[in-house]
Amino acid sequence: MGLTARDVMDTRFFTLRPEISVGDAVHIFKRASQELQQTVFGLMVVDANENLVGMVSMYDIFLLLRPKHIHIWGEMEDLEVAGVLETACQRAKGVLVGDIMTTELITITPDTHLLHIIDIMIKKHVRRLPVMNNGKILGIVYLSRVFNHLLERLAS
Amino acid sequence: MPVIDHRNVLKGLRVQEAMRRQVIRLPWEAPLAQAIRYTIKYKVNAVLAVDDDQVGLGVVSKTDLMGAYYAHLLIDTPVAAVMAGPPLFCRPTDTLDAALDAMRRHRVHRLYVQGEGPHDIIGVLAYPDIVGLLYRYCTRCDRSLKGKARTAGPPLDRFLVREVMTPEVYALQENDTLQAIMEGLAAYRFGAVLITDRDGRPAGIVSKTDLITAYLHGLPTDTPARRVMTKPAIAVDGGAPLAEALTTMIFADLHRLFVYRDSPENLVGVLSLSDVARFRSGTCRACLVSRIRVGAA
Repeated sequence: MGLTARDVMDTRFFTLRPEISVGDAVHIFKRASQELQQTVFGLMVVDANENLVGMVSMYDIFLLLRPKHIHIWGEMEDLEVAGVLETACQRAKGVLVGDIMTTELITITPDTHLLHIIDIMIKKHVRRLPVMNNGKILGIVYLSRVFNHLLERLAS
Repeated sequence: MPVIDHRNVLKGLRVQEAMRRQVIRLPWEAPLAQAIRYTIKYKVNAVLAVDDDQVGLGVVSKTDLMGAYYAHLLIDTPVAAVMAGPPLFCRPTDTLDAALDAMRRHRVHRLYVQGEGPHDIIGVLAYPDIVGLLYRYCTRCDRSLKGKARTAGPPLDRFLVREVMTPEVYALQENDTLQAIMEGLAAYRFGAVLITDRDGRPAGIVSKTDLITAYLHGLPTDTPARRVMTKPAIAVDGGAPLAEALTTMIFADLHRLFVYRDSPENLVGVLSLSDVARFRSGTCRACLVSRIRVGAA
């Protein structure tokens, strides 16, 4: 049973480029989910030299879809809302990944201890952590994997 | 929710009922690029710059970010270089009246809400949130909209766009540079400008958001407007009911629309979300708070 990021990280991962649109990014999310056989809720963003420059999560896409004036919409009982979701999707598709990605990144190394990983995830409200070594991406640790790993430990 | 007092409608409300608890903040040494991403992602007009202890040092608005673009600051300049500080605070128990007075006095669109501790920031009260409240309270108040209120139908169906719009349109040309647009927006204190083609027909719109996005994408300020404008310029018929205009604004994530007469190419005015809110209650003596007007920040 491992104890560090190396033991729980996924070394198969998909990435996005900052200059692609959210519309294109969504296709990569779908493909990643299919090929990895798990729903992917967040992806790393890398530049042309494969340097990690950001992360995009499901939450970032929710924020983009949420209408700016939704608080007013909620007050209007007679508002005709047919088509509002389609319009929001259409608008979101054109935004670039680089415009909405999170750039304040927290990364770990392959040697980061599992309990440190949990601590970071709790304190920083993150669900996935890129694993880096000398500026190179080695993998990604998902909250779900950490949880599964700990369940095994607790059960044994 | 507080009970509506028919003599003092919004006046009975306190900051805690109108504020947002999500405060978008970033470190004071964060780059301007991050502040731009936050305004795009969270759809806010300003973010709070804080120090390592989460003490609010200043506010960075889209106007400040546009100013940085105009001044050719590097995109990785710390936000501290352009923030306006210190931020202004109110208390959760302050009345909306007092908070709006403070906004008017200081000519700002938002106040941060201070919690128990001296540096505890628990929320933000922004002008659009108060506009939202007007829709909630004024439509339920039987003292507003005297005369017309006696007729049947939802209030926003009783008025036409042209009765509420500002009957002037500020426009620049598609070959004008972003620099010229920024000068125009700063001089007129507008949030966006109509862009017309060589024949004077509406071609698009350039907002502060479009400008700071261009800044983020590294475009030089002598880029022509046509390269960054949002197309088309969304417009409503002056003869349409207000409700239709409001629906269009909600759908398009806009707080202003152009108004046309006869044909979409003939723009005759501008309608803003706060115009609609003010008109709903502007003639109403039941509630002074409803007559909001804060100078552009």
